[in-house]
Amino acid sequence: MTGDVRYTIGIDIGGTFTDLTMVTEQGAVQSTKAPTTPDDFSIGVMDALAEAARINGISLEELVRRTDVLKNGSTVATNALLTRRGARVGLITTRGFEDTIFIMRAVGRVDGLPAEEVRRVAYVDKPEPLLPRERVVGVHERIDAQGRVVVPINTGEVTVAIRRLVEDEGVDAIAVSFLHSWRVADHEQVVRRMIDEQYGDRNIFVSLSSDLSREAGEYARTNTAVANAFVGPAVHRYLERLSAQLSALGFSGRLLVMQGNGGLASIDHAAPISTLQSGPAGGMFGAALMSDSMKHRTVVTADMGGTSFDVGVLSDGVWKYADEPIFARLRMMQPIIDIRSIGAGGGTIARVDPITTRMSVGPDSAGAQPGPACYDAGGTEPTVTDCNLVLGYLDPDFFLGGRKSLSVERAERAIRTNLADPLGLSVLESAAGVFDIINSKMSDLIRREVVRNGEVPAECALYAFGGAGAIHATSWARELGMSRIVIANTSPVFSAHGIAMSDFLRTRLATLTYVAPFDPAQLNRDLDALENDLAMELAKDGFNGTPQFKRYVTMHFLRQTTGEEMPLPWERFDGETAGSVGELYVEHYRRLYGPGAAYEKSGLAMSRIRVDAVGSIDRRAADHTVVPTTLDEARHGSRRAHFDGDLVDTVVYRKDRIPAGSTISGPAILESELTTIVVAPGTSAAVDSLGNVVVTV
Amino acid sequence: MTAAVGSIAEAAIDPIRFEILAHRLWAIGEEGRIALQRVTASPIVAQGGECMCSFYDANGNMILACSGHLRFAAATSDAIKRIIDWFADDPGINEGDEFILNDPYVAGSHTYDIMQIAPVFWNGERVAWVASSSHTADTGGLLRGAATEIYHEGIRLLGLKIVEAGVFRDDVFKTVTEQCRDPEYVGMDIKSRTAANNVCRAGYLELLHRFGADFVEAAGRRLIDDSSRMAREKLTAIPDGIWRSRIYGTYRDPNTRAAVPYQIVCAATKAGDELTLDFTGSSGQIDNDQNSTLPSTMAHVMIALTNRLFWDLPWSDGKLDPVRVIVPEGSVLNCRFPAACGRSPRVGQYVVEAVSQCVSSMLFAAGERADVNAGWGSFWYLGGPGYFYGGHNSHGLPNPQGLYDTHGGGLGATPLRDGVPSGGQQNIPSGGISDIERIELQYPFLYLSRSHNVDGGAPGARTGGAGTQRLVIAYGSDDLTVDFTPYGGLPHGAWGLFGGHPTGTGGTRSLLAPAADVAARLQHGDYPVTADEAVAGGWAEVSVPSGNPGRMPVTEGWLLADFTQGGGGYGDPVERAEDLVAEDVRRGVVSAGQAERIFGVVGDASGSPDPAATAARRAEIRQARLAGKDPDVLEPGSGEWVPRVRFHESLEVGRFELAAGEVVRCVKCGHVLCDVSQNYKVHAARRVIPLAELAGRGLPDGGEYVGALAEYACPGCAVLLAADISCPDVSGEDDLWDVQLGS
Repeated sequence: MTGDVRYTIGIDIGGTFTDLTMVTEQGAVQSTKAPTTPDDFSIGVMDALAEAARINGISLEELVRRTDVLKNGSTVATNALLTRRGARVGLITTRGFEDTIFIMRAVGRVDGLPAEEVRRVAYVDKPEPLLPRERVVGVHERIDAQGRVVVPINTGEVTVAIRRLVEDEGVDAIAVSFLHSWRVADHEQVVRRMIDEQYGDRNIFVSLSSDLSREAGEYARTNTAVANAFVGPAVHRYLERLSAQLSALGFSGRLLVMQGNGGLASIDHAAPISTLQSGPAGGMFGAALMSDSMKHRTVVTADMGGTSFDVGVLSDGVWKYADEPIFARLRMMQPIIDIRSIGAGGGTIARVDPITTRMSVGPDSAGAQPGPACYDAGGTEPTVTDCNLVLGYLDPDFFLGGRKSLSVERAERAIRTNLADPLGLSVLESAAGVFDIINSKMSDLIRREVVRNGEVPAECALYAFGGAGAIHATSWARELGMSRIVIANTSPVFSAHGIAMSDFLRTRLATLTYVAPFDPAQLNRDLDALENDLAMELAKDGFNGTPQFKRYVTMHFLRQTTGEEMPLPWERFDGETAGSVGELYVEHYRRLYGPGAAYEKSGLAMSRIRVDAVGSIDRRAADHTVVPTTLDEARHGSRRAHFDGDLVDTVVYRKDRIPAGSTISGPAILESELTTIVVAPGTSAAVDSLGNVVVTV
Repeated sequence: MTAAVGSIAEAAIDPIRFEILAHRLWAIGEEGRIALQRVTASPIVAQGGECMCSFYDANGNMILACSGHLRFAAATSDAIKRIIDWFADDPGINEGDEFILNDPYVAGSHTYDIMQIAPVFWNGERVAWVASSSHTADTGGLLRGAATEIYHEGIRLLGLKIVEAGVFRDDVFKTVTEQCRDPEYVGMDIKSRTAANNVCRAGYLELLHRFGADFVEAAGRRLIDDSSRMAREKLTAIPDGIWRSRIYGTYRDPNTRAAVPYQIVCAATKAGDELTLDFTGSSGQIDNDQNSTLPSTMAHVMIALTNRLFWDLPWSDGKLDPVRVIVPEGSVLNCRFPAACGRSPRVGQYVVEAVSQCVSSMLFAAGERADVNAGWGSFWYLGGPGYFYGGHNSHGLPNPQGLYDTHGGGLGATPLRDGVPSGGQQNIPSGGISDIERIELQYPFLYLSRSHNVDGGAPGARTGGAGTQRLVIAYGSDDLTVDFTPYGGLPHGAWGLFGGHPTGTGGTRSLLAPAADVAARLQHGDYPVTADEAVAGGWAEVSVPSGNPGRMPVTEGWLLADFTQGGGGYGDPVERAEDLVAEDVRRGVVSAGQAERIFGVVGDASGSPDPAATAARRAEIRQARLAGKDPDVLEPGSGEWVPRVRFHESLEVGRFELAAGEVVRCVKCGHVLCDVSQNYKVHAARRVIPLAELAGRGLPDGGEYVGALAEYACPGCAVLLAADISCPDVSGEDDLWDVQLGS
């Protein structure tokens, strides 16, 4: 009877769980999870598929055969970088600049560290590099900033360099990065050809910096080329294993990979490094879709997990890419969605300073081992989760759907000993204090990110996800004056769901050095070139339709060294728009920095162009969820929870049994296996036909 | 008594709301700094982070500073106090005002440190100040290197309202910016600080609205109080004693135009929970721009203490509460008006190093090994062409004045690991250097290299981190100029710890005239990457201008070589494991010559260490250290040895159970050097190594070194106890008593 159902499957391999969401052609959505298997990530994926098959009462083979597209986000690349376990990489670079990736612009010493650690200046060291200095070889060649060849590439040295890396150093991947290759890539391509000629038979992975980025900034670009080579074999191995297992089960659909830019590429043509942060990028894509259907112009996404709190911003459905995002303490140059993190989550530890009696919350975390005190696994310091338990927000018997029971007594003891006694407060007051402090820190991050994007916090819709997000979200909203919180029905697998819904996306950012007045013909040539490249990439990915292009420019006042990006409202420039782009920018700039900040007299420059090429994949709007119950049947007793200084009797609902269209006034708690939604007094929660909850603050 | 009063005051503060407020305040400052860095036109601010947003109480006491350049945060307290003093009555300090100030005799280091300061009003009353400060390398005046009075150093603002009652004053803006060579650049920077202050003030007003003015004020007091208490706690944990340091620099004699050495000395007396830093004995002020005003010296003292000792305290004025600083007037650290002070940050670096040396040694004695670092500021020599440029680039824009690769110097060795190569700089511990590709888009240079400086880190059992060296071609300017100082033949800003050398010997600063065939040779796929290679390969010749001019032109196609500071060493270099030395040689961080001369590691033909030759060479070095020493034999005392404090990698203070007094004893061999009331160096084996012998090379202009390396070894086992720069011309034949622990 289900013989004709076809699936699109989205997979998100996270640190702990591998999430899976399947969508039928009719738009029906189902999700499941399996533990992540870091030794071979494909095992976790196959486990999740098996679980999905089981839920549907079909065999794994049947499920696989009915799957048209399997879209896969993974942490394979991140994991390889974090553990520093990857390919044996050699680097060929411009002679005289062999130390670039070790000098790390000096800022590499503190990149990726929280402010608290940065301050310990005598202690902080640089991160371990991805390769030793001996595997870097310089060759004489030099291209200047305008793209002129000042020193032709010394091919004799290249031959020797390649031989040394392959024969003496035994590398299995070679990264190539020359100065100003963002402008002229010829010399890097010469090296690729020569590697092919010398060792075409050895299957050496070659990574050119100019393939990965066309932006000026040799440190991050070289790092990217090296990291791409470093993770390349691991990513390929994973995808090959997965592909082989699927094929063996009769899979004939398309296997696509999610990229950190928020869209898909084919497994054969995705740069391995582009898969960094693909999970959160899936979440951002999901949020963008949702903002479109809910008509939210500006959205802030807040994902609160066990150790970190991640915030992203969407304006008119558009996200920004991070300037030189940092992974495993290394700066990269890749279009990766700008999502900022602080160390704040359920496992975050609260402490009292013995000298000043100041209470601090974070950034240290109890992690998964030993975890919060209430896990009763050896943790003795109080964490945010312990406080949430004591405050009545969590049910000790229904954590992870009852799979883990929590010890209230342990939590109370940890709070009393470490916080309440030294501060002279009650356990409840201390727990509420921790709750307020962590919320305040998280609100500070949200505010900073919203403001940095030129938006106003009060006007944003807040999309909360992650295990604990919906417990804390009302506090953030109140702090920032936001009135709408959305907790998606798919919130526990939000990234996997976003990945399942996502499209092909190829992105290119390129440094420009134009000074006003701008030449429209030159700008159009640049756009043509980028769009041609991107269309070709989409075609290679297997996309046959017509790409949609979105264009952006980064501009700055003439002497400034950083600029701001804005969407370009037209496809091509003409005599008029080449001038009015300046007025558009001044307006944009004033919105960001206030009326007095713009300084037109200094002149304008254009420093970067960005084009996103979207290859849309058909998808149905999500199906309606019908819950055949009444609100009363969804009630699941009550418990005392802490609001405004008091413990208040609070009705508990099983979220999945709440019928569509219901509105519940706080105080109330809505629970499902993986999500707890706290509805505070004075707020109300509406459940829509898709099972999404909208809390009005 | 003050602590008890503080406790009562703070008991009224809800600890939860206090914590929220404190984090919020920090976040507001960070938002302000982000705005400043994005609007600014200064590369050193945008990419180097040389800026600061900070908050002050109604009277100008600093409540909190955020990340960025610490010098500014410390300085602004002074500026606010003076503005209140001068202008509160006339023209008055009103709501919506913002003052601009850059007088280094009031606050800051030199005229390029520009502060903009805005009062915050609540219900008509002034309750606080916010400040945003950054480095703008153009104030008109003479270009770097030529000033002899502050009047030569361009505009000096003592507090003008750039914004009055909320209205940006175009008259002030135009008048200020048009005194400068690049008005648009200076104007953009003024706008950036105003933007940051707007963010900070709006945020602060929100705090007042939410928490109430009384609570915010009490919280500010508590932030100051907390850091005062934590500072005292830290000091209490350190044994009482006196630590001394001496740092050398050189300046251009205005008459002879030659380099003259001068010294910064610091005595740090720790008693109970207080610390006194006394700079008496530092050289007198100088008739050029190499002076530090008192505010600049104080700001640099604050940098050193914050980085090295008080890093985990809230950044407020409270941490200086237990610290007393004595700086003699008329010295190079407290120059009298109207002395010029454009190079004050260089002098400031020496202050930072002098204080850091005392503090690091104190921390060692307190057992805080992980926070001990040798020096971050050692140059083998200074002088030659600098990094402050004039002229225009190929777009016709004025060249950005400074090129701050010094923000990526090598860091000092620690008891637990080698120093970080190219790790940063003390002013802005989270700063960095620019990408070459970005530099070449702005500056008229074509880089031939930026690499780790061979022999740039100081030798030691743990080596200092190397800085970087660069070789660039002047490329795309018709009128490029650079500042020039005479070569000063001794290590600048250098110190090591406990036998670690004060400095590496690598690095060249020079201007090189190209040979005629350079263009043709480039076409053959070749170029040099160091000054030595350029000279040896016939690419260019070192060119030394006659008469040591303050600035000099750089002709298109000429080469400039430069290097940045390295880290000091830790412990005796001949105790470094020989395979580590061999690896340093293989990685190209240490030359084979240094390995043999200083580390005593002899390589065979393949570069691997030759154990027999190495043992022989190391024995020879130890022998040389003891030569001529007639060890005074001190009665060792009897009974069990009872150590009190290990104050040095190889030395400790203690007494023999049956003896009366305390003595200083070698940890390694048990040799007793002297009574605790005596300077152990006087009782160590001393020898002096000429700098030319140490480096195996001379100065680029063929001039003579003026200093030497004084080594002090244990007469018992020959372990190196100290390796100091010695310059009898300035300091006499003085064995600096660096750690004096009373009993």
